[in-house]
Amino acid sequence: AWKCQNKLSLFGTETLTNSNAQLSLLIMQVKCLTAELGQWHKKTLEITPLTEDVLITLGKEEFQKLRQDLEMVLTTLQSKNEKLKEDLEREQQWLNEQEQIMESLNLLHGELKNQVGTCSESRILNELKTKIISIKKFKEKILITLGKFLEDHFPLPHGNIKKKRKNIQESTAQLITLNEILEILINRMFDVPHDPYVKINDCFWPPYIELILRNGIALRHPEDPTQIRLEAFHQ
Amino acid sequence: MSVLRPMDKLPDLNKATVLLVSTEDALLQQLADSMLKEDCASELRVHLTKSLPLPSSVARPRIDLIVFVITLHSRYSFQNVEESLHHVDSNFFLGKVCFLVTGAGRDSHCSVHRNTVAKLAHTYRSPLLFCDLEVESFRATVAQRLVRMLQICAGHVPGVSGLNLLSLMRSPSPPPEEL
Repeated sequence: AWKCQNKLSLFGTETLTNSNAQLSLLIMQVKCLTAELGQWHKKTLEITPLTEDVLITLGKEEFQKLRQDLEMVLTTLQSKNEKLKEDLEREQQWLNEQEQIMESLNLLHGELKNQVGTCSESRILNELKTKIISIKKFKEKILITLGKFLEDHFPLPHGNIKKKRKNIQESTAQLITLNEILEILINRMFDVPHDPYVKINDCFWPPYIELILRNGIALRHPEDPTQIRLEAFHQ
Repeated sequence: MSVLRPMDKLPDLNKATVLLVSTEDALLQQLADSMLKEDCASELRVHLTKSLPLPSSVARPRIDLIVFVITLHSRYSFQNVEESLHHVDSNFFLGKVCFLVTGAGRDSHCSVHRNTVAKLAHTYRSPLLFCDLEVESFRATVAQRLVRMLQICAGHVPGVSGLNLLSLMRSPSPPPEEL
């Protein structure tokens, strides 16, 4: 090495100016590359002799690498396994739910089938008829109960009360029961829905009129105080 | 007046020395730090200087790579490098010199055109690297590149010499003529 060094130090130094730089550098590069090329051709590559020590070290390295790779594979597989288990559980649950839904749907289907199977026109008619009859019966019952209730709690006034009001024009018309008043109102409501108003008759006992007005059972006509109608409970 | 010569000293075992030349002290210092932080099998030595020629009084090891750092913001740094180039032996330019340009990001501050430096690099047939040395991550990247280059130039990478690297790198094409 020293000999080369000495030889090198004998070489003069050369500096470049911008003008001659490119050409001289390129020429130098060519020379050096050719020299390096020659060197590469001449050089014979040395292989490290495969002695026991070398083999052992190399073997150890290989095994280390292998172990690391296998460990990595192991952890990856384990995590994959975990994930798969979770997925399986989730899918299992979903399947159970679906099966339950299926069961209930089947039950429903069975019931409906039974119903549908026995359905025919006459059957429907009969059913409707029985319904109408039961409703009519119910209506009768209610009306009777209402009549009884009104008779008990809201009877017509006796004759004594008339004596006190001599100066007021006595109505010669017969007073009708609250039941009858209500009947009139109800019938009017359903017969003529667009004009359910009834003119206050002398047959209506005024206190009862007040009673039904105050309790919201009947309403006055907004423009004509002599007309009342039933409150539309059914709407 | 000493001229830097590539082969005037014996190489030290497993040691690689790089010389950074620039007028920008702060940037050089940062770059040196980044390079020293790099993981490297060889022992790195970084020398900083403002310009060549180097004072001959100091004993220094053989220099494996010279990096000329030019900032586009200052015409003076460019001229300084141009002058320093005259003190470098021509043998250095066979792969052991590299130009590094910084400051190309802020166009408004540039007083030297990129093409001027590109022409310089082309004249001296040396690789030209662009990097914004003020950004930490870019600096780290270019430091890594320089360390690799240094290792090759110091001969620590078997089979590749500085000249090989030069040939392998994209040949500096002549910059487009300014209109």
